[in-house]
Amino acid sequence: MPLLFVPMVGLLGILVALYRRDPRRFLDGPTDDAPARLMHWAVGLLSAQRAEWGRAMLGELEHVEGRVRRMRFALGCVGAALMLPPWGRAATAVWALLVLAVGGIALDASTAITYHLDGGTWVAAAVLTVFVAGCLVGASALARRPGVAAQGLLGGLLVAVTWLALGGFTVHDRIRPDVVPWHPWVEAVVVPFVLGAAATAWARDPVVGKRVARLAAITAGLALYVYSTVAVAVIGATGPVEEDGGGTIPGTISDRLGNNLIMLAFTTMVVATVGWGGAAAAGRLLRRTPASPVVSVPFSPSSEANQEA
Amino acid sequence: MCRLVVVQADRRPSPQTIRVLGALATDPTRWRYGYDLATEVHLKSGSLYPILVRLADRGLLDTSWEPAIGSRPPRHLYRLSPNGRELVAALTAARVERSERHPQHRWSEA
Repeated sequence: MPLLFVPMVGLLGILVALYRRDPRRFLDGPTDDAPARLMHWAVGLLSAQRAEWGRAMLGELEHVEGRVRRMRFALGCVGAALMLPPWGRAATAVWALLVLAVGGIALDASTAITYHLDGGTWVAAAVLTVFVAGCLVGASALARRPGVAAQGLLGGLLVAVTWLALGGFTVHDRIRPDVVPWHPWVEAVVVPFVLGAAATAWARDPVVGKRVARLAAITAGLALYVYSTVAVAVIGATGPVEEDGGGTIPGTISDRLGNNLIMLAFTTMVVATVGWGGAAAAGRLLRRTPASPVVSVPFSPSSEANQEA
Repeated sequence: MCRLVVVQADRRPSPQTIRVLGALATDPTRWRYGYDLATEVHLKSGSLYPILVRLADRGLLDTSWEPAIGSRPPRHLYRLSPNGRELVAALTAARVERSERHPQHRWSEA
């Protein structure tokens, strides 16, 4: 089991190294100090009606001296930006994903407590928290882009519902392997690919399509994770005994929770990759499609006179 | 619906809002910065800005932008609008009336 965490920890290490090397790769705007970056992030979540207030907070921060004071001011403004009604689509998307994430982690932890699981489960919970936090940061960066938040959320829900519908909408399908050969193709390939392509076609911009696909992947991953965790909590140690868990009740529960974590990472990465591919493919098709011809009529006083006549 | 709006508009301001209004009312014609206001009334930015937004939404606050100086972005400025001054006057009158009836009441309870 610990070997399963090695790729995840390795991936996190690579991401941290990349971030330290070039923060601009992950963040928008200039490389300001931490309070300014935090503020830019939060202000990007404000609705259009409150955009002026976001600029007001940013402008004020530039006149606050001292690192601690700046951070205090920025943290307060972040809270205000997240709570200030009316929420924009970006803030709504972030709150929705945050609720899903916190709900899933809390349920995971409460299940672990209920069944007195061992230390390995808590290591998994820590990895889960870091992974989910990374997903949320990524989602917040994506959701603030125009034309991404609503489409990404709805697309993610569509992917999640497809997975659940093909499993029969039962909690047991989340702990049993799906033996129908074509199900994985539809769940993990066709629907995400079509989603990415549709988002590109809708926005007529492959960049938007790729962002929608990535946000949909995070949404779908978190939604399926929460559903799977609820399934484990509901089923408990009943149903087929997990041999990987050593046949014991805590082992079975621990194995199922671990499987959920693996599925969260798998679902998110696969849907994001395939959706990205669909968006890119649709973008290529769009580029090949010739623009509608524009009929240009040379202007001349006589032609204008004829039209008026 | 109209009744709801009227009730909300007439709702007594929170103690924090009253502090902000009081600070703005010390010199109603002067434009103020957000950070200076927050420091003066001992409010965190997370509390101050929602208050300023609500006051501006209700027409109690005038807002303006100070031109940018050098590379620094422009700053947002605030002062009481005529409606805001009327509200402060009404709150002050209510406070005086209450303090005459109940001398132990503080200004923030107006």
